[in-house]
Amino acid sequence: MSIYEGAVRRPIMTSLVFTAVIIFGLFSLIKLPIDLYPDIETNTIMVFTYYNGASAEDIENNLTRPLENTLNSVEHIKHVTSNSKDGVSVVTLEFEYGYDIDVLTNNVRDKLDMVSNSLPNEANQPIIFKFSTDMIPILMLSVQAEESQKALYKILDDNVVNALARVDGVGTVSIIGAPEREINVYMDPVKMEAYNLSAAQVASAIAAENQNATNGTVDIGTLTYTVRTEGEFDDANEINNIVVASNGDGKVYVRDVARVVDDVQERSQQTYTNGRQGGLIIIQKQSGANSVAISQAVMERLPELRKNLPSDVSLNVMVNTSDNILNTIDSLVETISFAMLFVVIVVFVFLGRWRATVIICITIPMSLIASFIYLYATGGSLNMISLSCLSIAIGNVVDDAIVVLENVTTHIERGSDPKQAAIHGTNEVAISVIASTLTMIAVFFPLTMVSGMSGVLFKQLGWMMCIIMTISTSSALSFTPMLCSQMLKLQKKQSKLFKTIYRPVQKALDALDNLYERMINWAVRHRWIIIFACVLFFLASIYVMKLVGIKSEYFPTNDNGRVSCSIELPIGSRKEKAKEVADHLAYTWMKRYGKELKVCNFTVGQAGDNNTWASMQSNGSHIISFNLNYVPSNEREKGLVLICDELREDCKKIPEIAKFRVSLGGGNSNMGGQSMATFEIYGYDLTETMNVAETLSKKLAESPMVGQTSISRSDYVPELVINFDREKLAKANITMSAASAAVRNLINGSLMSFFREDGEEYDIKVRYEPDARKSVEDILDMLVPSQAGNIRVRDIATIEESAMPPTIERKDRQRITTVTAVLKDGYALSDGVEYGRSIYENMDIPAGITVQVAGSYEDQQDSNRDLGVLGMLIIILVFIVMAAQFESLTYPFIIMLSVPFAASGIILALCMTGTNLNIMSILGGIMLIGIVVKNGIVLIDYTQLLRERGYGLIRSSVAAARSRLRPILMTSLTTILGMVPMAVGHGVGAEMWRPLGVSVIGGLTVSTILTLIYVPSMFCIFGSNGIKNKRKKLRKQRELDAYWKEHQSEETFKHSKSSTKHEQEES
Amino acid sequence: MKAVFIAYDQAHQENIAEVLDRLTIKGYTLFPQVMGAGSNTGDPHLGSHAWPTMNSAILTIVPEEKLEKLMERLHELDVNNEMLGLRAFVWNIEQQI
Repeated sequence: MSIYEGAVRRPIMTSLVFTAVIIFGLFSLIKLPIDLYPDIETNTIMVFTYYNGASAEDIENNLTRPLENTLNSVEHIKHVTSNSKDGVSVVTLEFEYGYDIDVLTNNVRDKLDMVSNSLPNEANQPIIFKFSTDMIPILMLSVQAEESQKALYKILDDNVVNALARVDGVGTVSIIGAPEREINVYMDPVKMEAYNLSAAQVASAIAAENQNATNGTVDIGTLTYTVRTEGEFDDANEINNIVVASNGDGKVYVRDVARVVDDVQERSQQTYTNGRQGGLIIIQKQSGANSVAISQAVMERLPELRKNLPSDVSLNVMVNTSDNILNTIDSLVETISFAMLFVVIVVFVFLGRWRATVIICITIPMSLIASFIYLYATGGSLNMISLSCLSIAIGNVVDDAIVVLENVTTHIERGSDPKQAAIHGTNEVAISVIASTLTMIAVFFPLTMVSGMSGVLFKQLGWMMCIIMTISTSSALSFTPMLCSQMLKLQKKQSKLFKTIYRPVQKALDALDNLYERMINWAVRHRWIIIFACVLFFLASIYVMKLVGIKSEYFPTNDNGRVSCSIELPIGSRKEKAKEVADHLAYTWMKRYGKELKVCNFTVGQAGDNNTWASMQSNGSHIISFNLNYVPSNEREKGLVLICDELREDCKKIPEIAKFRVSLGGGNSNMGGQSMATFEIYGYDLTETMNVAETLSKKLAESPMVGQTSISRSDYVPELVINFDREKLAKANITMSAASAAVRNLINGSLMSFFREDGEEYDIKVRYEPDARKSVEDILDMLVPSQAGNIRVRDIATIEESAMPPTIERKDRQRITTVTAVLKDGYALSDGVEYGRSIYENMDIPAGITVQVAGSYEDQQDSNRDLGVLGMLIIILVFIVMAAQFESLTYPFIIMLSVPFAASGIILALCMTGTNLNIMSILGGIMLIGIVVKNGIVLIDYTQLLRERGYGLIRSSVAAARSRLRPILMTSLTTILGMVPMAVGHGVGAEMWRPLGVSVIGGLTVSTILTLIYVPSMFCIFGSNGIKNKRKKLRKQRELDAYWKEHQSEETFKHSKSSTKHEQEES
Repeated sequence: MKAVFIAYDQAHQENIAEVLDRLTIKGYTLFPQVMGAGSNTGDPHLGSHAWPTMNSAILTIVPEEKLEKLMERLHELDVNNEMLGLRAFVWNIEQQI
């Protein structure tokens, strides 16, 4: 008993099996986590090696180079980049995608063991650090405060941070912009000198007094007592009363030489949100945790947390990455529902039967829902890729069901009993249904083998489509016939309503059939004209592409409503200046964007030492970092790219700004950011490469298409270098380290003790008054203690002003500087790269320096090459499947010709809509290979069938074309209309999949129309050639036979003669 | 006794079985998959790419009194579903064991 017969005979079992599948699918759906992209595998490992006191160049020579040389031999490595900074070497290893990062880490560790002996002894052990996307913050909360500002850190730490850190999945919670409390002891240099005291004395006196100690236990009577000394300060003012030095009766108290200030850290960041000061709370997730779930859990806790805060402190959500994810997913779900609706309408119009339409309505969601089981089983998530995949699949899953349904209906109309019709009808088309699924699998299965960044997208899509196709086929061969046998019946009387609705449709379709038949009748009699016109059309589309020019980019820009700007004033600018500029910008932006700008937040100043989040970012007194959050893209007029361009223009207008970087999407994602052309300048000489970089950057910035340029190498940092004279130091009996520590204690402060209150510890910093460390003179006047008394710095050292060498960057073991140009809205990556190339090719570049294009253009080229190979592979596979089905090499060839027309369609659609060619549109193109050949298969198969029934060549072509017009239109329209919501959608994230929709619609429309015209003509050309060849063969055979009959005796004689000759030779 | 050979589209299978059942014709020989084509009208049933449908055939030996009823019923089936195709042929049984 075949599968369909079994299914029809056992309807209860069949329907329950599929119900079970749906239940499992829905269960999986509930359990599925939601994310924006599929999990991106980590492919980067960083190796940090600290070497205190070494300069950038020393680090480069002694640490970075040996490390690079050794690590370069680790397997599967793609690029080795490094940063050699003051005191630290960071080597970043970028691996090829698709390898287990744990194995790679072990390999790296082995190599490090090998090299560690040849590293300098003073250098620390290298630390391995795996970079992952988990470090991107998932939530940013903004805090605004009035009078609680000074205590904000403690308030937030106690009430918010600790509570949030307990939420499942939350990794690190950091506070920014709320300075921590610090007890500052500011010493007066004049008084210190008068009392002949050193800073170390004051600090150690404070440390010595601020002590609690256990002194042991004593037994008194029956009890044992612990004896303790409590010396710790209860109040910061107690410090004032500490005796620093005594000379007989005369005592010097701290208050005599210093003032104690219970305040906040001297150098700290300030955060302003929508014009009010406050702080920021940054929440990062634990590795592998689900962002949406965490965000939801955090959001649930917020109202409760707000209650515990003082009334002037307000806590708001500034950035919630899950908002964008949820909005995107919502708009995709909407897209899918619309697609489904369109498909159902198409099916109804073409089939003209309620019951058949209902059957299709039941089968579509089933295949889709079943795919959730796969996602759940493999640990996938509901993301943009998996949902787009459903949207793509809708148009395709109906095809199998439609083919079965149509044939079953034909049987019923012939008079079969529905049950018998379902079994035999399915039996007849089973092979062709399976074959058409195989062509789709031939397209999608190779996608699962793509690696790299595009692999992230394609792998899941490939698997999903293969699984959906398989399920839809098996349901078409079991579930659909079962439903047909139960629901379909010979429609002997149509209802009146149905007749009024459907009659005009029927008439229109009939008219279309007739028109098409006439066209084909003409076409097959003028085959060469048709073929010539088709070729001309293809060439014209290529000419259009050359004329209009399709712009290419790697990945569409994702509008998530977030912009981050990092603005740098000249290095060394004070925080107050930065604040002034930031205020001006914030005011301008808030005024211009009004309600569309939800949150405008900026942070200025230098972060403290113990801030996890800030230590990963660049910060300094001259840096302003802005976080702007706009309303979702569908509620705002301007696109984010345009907004970014405007922001850049504003930054350009302010002369104080030395550098700025406006990053779309929060600047933390390499997918979906703005198009950036990156140029790498390799060369050893730092000055020369910098010159080249600056010239290139300047010329790029002049172009109207470039919004901003940046050079990766940071500017020289101004510094004051104290050169101690060794002779003089030796004379005073001070070591170099002691002298330098003394100066450090006066400027940076010495931290020898902590002030404890309510279980919290605060630093007690002892240093000079701020006024006493404001100039080079002040430093020269500082006192360094020695055995012979205090010596002034000016007596033992000179101070010179210089600049600290920048970070030395290297890539693949060569020094490198990169120039990045962000392109304005409407300009594609290829334009920027071409422009940059024309600049540096005409530049006078010194010997030993090379410039090349890299970055996302490199990725794009890589992935285009991969996809090209993939396209070839797919075409070959599809050809094999078709050749096997037809047992012919000619027919697959005819059908394959529709692929170039699909390409023309894509080109025209992209040109007409001004869409860029990117990875999504290429993906659409690859999918089309499978979809467009289906039309050809249907047409050729039926023409062949009519030929076998004894029709003539032309008659079979015309009749087949007429009879297959509706099925072809129906399957193509379901796919095209299924894609329309994708192509025209305006929901959040729509810009990501629009190129996909546009290319599928364009390609499929053009190729369907052309397939319908050229395939019958081509069939006739090959068919008539076949007939001619056959005739020729027959004629030859006939002539040969005649000849044979006539000359039989002669030929036999010749033959025997030659054979005897042959025998003679042998003997 | 008469021998009746019925050749019909597979889809008729249940109908034929029902007819035989109604007339309490118990004995028969069924050929579930046979190919064939009509002499005058109708599509061939060849199970091929061009003609995918298949026939079944039944050979049954019936007493003469049931023959007329059987042929009548079969004819009715054929008339109702002309497109499917059903033919029945009758000849004499000479001998049986």
